[in-house]
Amino acid sequence: MKKILSVLLTSTLALTACSSGGDDDTTATTGAASCAPSSGGPVTLNFTSWIPNIEDVVKVWNDSHPNIQVKVQTGPNGNGGTYQNFFNQLKAGNAPDLGQIEYDALPSFRVQDGLENLAACKPVSDAKDQFIDWTWNQVSFGEQNAVYGVPQDAGPMALFYRKDLFEKAGIAIPTTWEEYTAAAEKVKAAGGYITNFSQSDINQFAGLAWQAGGHWFANDGSKWSVNFQDEATTKVATYWQDLITKKLVSTVPPWTTEWDNAYNKGNAWTWVSAVWGANSISSGAPDTSGKWAVAPMPQWTAGGKTAGNWGGSSTAVFKGSKHPYEASEFAIWLNTSQEALTLLNEKANLYPATKSGATLPALSKGVAFYGDQKIYDVFAEASGQVAPDFTWGPTMTSTYATASDGFKAAVSGNGTLIDALKKAQTTTVDNLKSQSIPVAE
Amino acid sequence: MTKKKHLLVFILPFGLLFAAFYVAPIGYAIKQSLYKVTRTGTFGPAHEVFGGLEQYQRVFENGPFWESVGRVLLFGLVQVPVMLGLALLLALLLDSGLVKGRRFFRLAFFVPYAVPGVVAAIMWGFLYSPNLSPFTAVTKNWDLLSADLVLWAMANVVTWVYVGYNMLIIYSALLAIPQEVYEAAKIDGAGPLRTAWSIKIPLVMPAIVLTTVFSIIGTLQLLAEPQVFRTFSSAVSSTYTPNLTVYSTSSIPNFNLAAAFSVVLALATFALSFTFLKFTQRGADK
Repeated sequence: MKKILSVLLTSTLALTACSSGGDDDTTATTGAASCAPSSGGPVTLNFTSWIPNIEDVVKVWNDSHPNIQVKVQTGPNGNGGTYQNFFNQLKAGNAPDLGQIEYDALPSFRVQDGLENLAACKPVSDAKDQFIDWTWNQVSFGEQNAVYGVPQDAGPMALFYRKDLFEKAGIAIPTTWEEYTAAAEKVKAAGGYITNFSQSDINQFAGLAWQAGGHWFANDGSKWSVNFQDEATTKVATYWQDLITKKLVSTVPPWTTEWDNAYNKGNAWTWVSAVWGANSISSGAPDTSGKWAVAPMPQWTAGGKTAGNWGGSSTAVFKGSKHPYEASEFAIWLNTSQEALTLLNEKANLYPATKSGATLPALSKGVAFYGDQKIYDVFAEASGQVAPDFTWGPTMTSTYATASDGFKAAVSGNGTLIDALKKAQTTTVDNLKSQSIPVAE
Repeated sequence: MTKKKHLLVFILPFGLLFAAFYVAPIGYAIKQSLYKVTRTGTFGPAHEVFGGLEQYQRVFENGPFWESVGRVLLFGLVQVPVMLGLALLLALLLDSGLVKGRRFFRLAFFVPYAVPGVVAAIMWGFLYSPNLSPFTAVTKNWDLLSADLVLWAMANVVTWVYVGYNMLIIYSALLAIPQEVYEAAKIDGAGPLRTAWSIKIPLVMPAIVLTTVFSIIGTLQLLAEPQVFRTFSSAVSSTYTPNLTVYSTSSIPNFNLAAAFSVVLALATFALSFTFLKFTQRGADK
């Protein structure tokens, strides 16, 4: 009897799923219709992520939730290959239930119709108020009745610097970008580079433009507009081009052993990076333990209080998941519960996207690698200074690829960062058109 | 009739796999390349509709793609003769009896081929990187990862990996030459060099032609090396080789355009290999 009932139930569920998938003229309603708990039997969910040691965090959930078991699969970071896998899996109809997607990639997945709208899932709608406003804005696209992922972490940016080297050379910690240039000259004289310009990871540049007030994309509901040449972005590009031309920054390819080496050997003295960068430095430059410190990001105007954001992910539920309710239950636990957030911070230095996250005991402790400085205080402050209205475009993977081709050319002396952004502009518009995504020219 | 049945039994395993993993994907790619996506509104769901040759028009208008085709052709023009010349030389040396420890060298030359292409590329990438290389005397003076040299730095990797493989094919052809031919040459007073030039090389020509065709195909399909070198070098773009263009396009994801790129690339490879075969066959007929 029970069996028959469950078969009936699932088939009606499948029917509603079919019908909601059928009327795809109105995007607002799709997916929001069916989000009820599965009846009977334990549920197994697949979850793909590249957070270091995520397995340990998921194990805590699995141990206390015998009926909702989560299987983790790890992979390279999103643009490093996992997004491509997701797109292929969606095309083939075998995507996992849950996946890690950075905020900048959410529009790309939504435009490919790859995400389940979780607005109707009770665990998600109940948790809305717990998240920092701008992160919620990223997953809801500023729309009502739309939630395409659960915010996981934020990447407020600050200035990591080698305290010992700055002290030894008697250079003041720069608080404005103008001072940063001046410091760069002194660092160069002392035989180092103030930083390494990220030639192929455009996300850092996006964070810098975000701080300056740049807006690359806008979506008025009927059309996208693309603008890589607004005043703020141009200002940032001109600034860094100047440092590159004067050879005040090194241009080692990021995320390589060579790059780690530059920090480990003390060739690069600072890094304007996101909170999770704390982990990148400690794992990439282990010999420099205790020598680093964190200060707020340099400002464009003296006394200013603005910060950029670099990265930050959401946990999204893919279209076609049979258990959106359970998946969203897990996603909410992973990203709001104190035990999960503490673990994520311990294992991967993630900075929670929840408002109460800043008061986690783990985040108020000093960090040994940073000379016992309470570095998360700096990031908590930065988190409140991130402009909430930065919009990402729907083809970021290719935008990044084109921009990074241009940035790479610029650091090898062919063209400038401005040229690269111009190219990114035309290629992005072309790409949108080739996918019939409406775009204003 | 029974003979035909027997034939079928022997062909079936190959035929099935060939159909499933070769013919079907090609058919699917061709189908994909003829479709395009339409949607309404900024986040409207996509519909695939028949688009005729629209994607192909995009392919032919795509400057970076044709640049990348030119790049691999230049690469092949230099790298394939160098690699096969080396392979031939090594095969002749092994066959000449001048070398002691023939078995050892045969294996030693072949070993790089056993290293997976990606691993080989990473290893060479480290050797080339100015700050990591143990050969600082070289990397300080020449930036092997710069725009001017990186193509040839990759050619070196490809050569290193495939010389031994090609040598083995040529060497086994050399072993198949009947002993009487050598005896006849000896009686006519031919020395080792003369024998190599007038007997061995002409007789292994079919093997050389075969390895050339393989190499042409391999060159046009370069992917692993540039993909790995992208992380090391600022000179390798996301459209550096045709296959890398296909890869980047499919990660947009624009599967239809990526399929069209692939079909054009396959046709180009086919045309080039076929032309080469025709060309060498005409030479042989003379």
